[in-house]
Amino acid sequence: MLRYLGTPLALAAVLLVLYLWVSGLALDSIEQRTLNWEYIHTRVLEHLRLTAVATLLVVIIAIPVGILLSRPGARWLSPVVLGLANLGQATPAIGLLALLTIQFGIGFTIALVGLIAYAVLPVLRNTIIGIQQVDPALIEAARGMGMTRGQVLRRVEIKLAVPVILAGLRTALVMAVGVATLATFVNAGGLGDIIVNGIKLQRTPVLVTGGVLTAVIAFFVDWLGSVTENALRPRGI
Amino acid sequence: MHTPTRRTILAGIAAITAVTALAGCGGGTSASASEQGSLGQELKDAKFIVGSKDFSESIILGQITMEMLRAHGAEVVDKTNIKGSTNTRTALTSSQIDMYWEYTGTGWVTYLKQTKPLADPEQQYAAVAKDDLAQNKVFWGTRAPLNNTYAFAIRKEKAAELGVTKLSDLAGLVKSKPAEATFCIESEFSTRDDGWPGVAAAYGLDVPKDNVKSVDTGLIYTETKKGSTCNFGEVFATDGRIASLGLTVLEDDEHFFPVYNAALTMRQETNAKYPQVETIMAPVAQKLTDQVMQSLNAKVDADGLEPRTVAHDWLAEQGLIKK
Repeated sequence: MLRYLGTPLALAAVLLVLYLWVSGLALDSIEQRTLNWEYIHTRVLEHLRLTAVATLLVVIIAIPVGILLSRPGARWLSPVVLGLANLGQATPAIGLLALLTIQFGIGFTIALVGLIAYAVLPVLRNTIIGIQQVDPALIEAARGMGMTRGQVLRRVEIKLAVPVILAGLRTALVMAVGVATLATFVNAGGLGDIIVNGIKLQRTPVLVTGGVLTAVIAFFVDWLGSVTENALRPRGI
Repeated sequence: MHTPTRRTILAGIAAITAVTALAGCGGGTSASASEQGSLGQELKDAKFIVGSKDFSESIILGQITMEMLRAHGAEVVDKTNIKGSTNTRTALTSSQIDMYWEYTGTGWVTYLKQTKPLADPEQQYAAVAKDDLAQNKVFWGTRAPLNNTYAFAIRKEKAAELGVTKLSDLAGLVKSKPAEATFCIESEFSTRDDGWPGVAAAYGLDVPKDNVKSVDTGLIYTETKKGSTCNFGEVFATDGRIASLGLTVLEDDEHFFPVYNAALTMRQETNAKYPQVETIMAPVAQKLTDQVMQSLNAKVDADGLEPRTVAHDWLAEQGLIKK
């Protein structure tokens, strides 16, 4: 259990150092408008909400699609879908947001669409790969025991693919935390508000606070991912 | 706290300038460039690296500067279009570039870290020029009358419908039709003293929080034109898109917004070594008014002309260089 505590302790220490440093500074009125509890609290919550909802939707979209694409009958489809997912990730997220905005306006939903387009690839790809890498001998054995195709999928293939799928999900989560900083450009808030303010007005404490908070959240969700991964990994592998 | 080292910052700037330089090469040499030394040889053997920020106005001003310096015999290197004010300023102070056009309001708030702007343009300029020279050894050339300050724009027909022409009309609108009092602003504008907090206090605007949307600078223009997310957009007064999108600017009748006059900035040592630069550029700066800048910006942003061509044509038209 002890090995799980390292990351949260380190993150808490980082936050403490940040807090002590900022509270020791004499802030001007521009910095005070950003570096206060209410402002930071709201931005962190917005950021977490964006990341969480985007990741949830990515799971709902990418895992079933990935499973579907791994079925023998649908394999021909996978280059098309993976191509689309690649496109989503290769397109600069900020450009995609601007395009979506010109077409559909601004807000939380638009930021969400941009985030999902960006984060879908690692989960989709890892789901397909995770299922494809299951030893065919095991599937044959399961079939030999009289399991139906559906049972094999549920009890053998998906279970054995879980670690790979979760690894993809962790990657997606960390990326989503980073890309959610762009939500500021479409009125969806988040820590990007603080970061962009710090950059544009050259206020280092503001920029550092926004950056460090984003990084801490990224490390934290990655840590959550690793804990979940260990809990969900089927025993014996 | 880990901060980027000076070396990484410089490497970043080097990368940015390298990319800009490459982008510049793509355009090839323009046929419209003025001939080297066509107006004299005062700057013979001098070599200047001219920078600019990453938006049309700044690039046009950079191109104007290069045309003038070249016409007076100098060799110039084009490093315009550097991403962001801060990077451009760092490029100047770290000698990656020799000069670029900066705004008095930006110098005051961003580099000199002041929070209260001065209302009078001349006083603001004098204060920035004095403090920046004393603190950072940056020299400010003659101030151009163009004032690229903040302003609120709205569609012309909507302005007529709501009956608003000046910022002091907004307080009434907020009370009578709160649903129409919607604003698109940039995130930095929301925390500046000379931004939303100040303007709302100065004009007594008690706008519901949800009516103020924070969006990217470029998107403000398109959103204001559409009018579905917001009726009023925070814009820059000299932007060519105001006219081309059929927007109109509300008059700042209480003179709240600070003055953003443009001036050519360079390191103190550059000015000491080549005082001719200031002599050559002063008459040009004086001709750069709001109207002139708006029309030059529109030629780039709306008509799609090259900043270099726009700069050259304007200088020739004004008789400042030979055609």
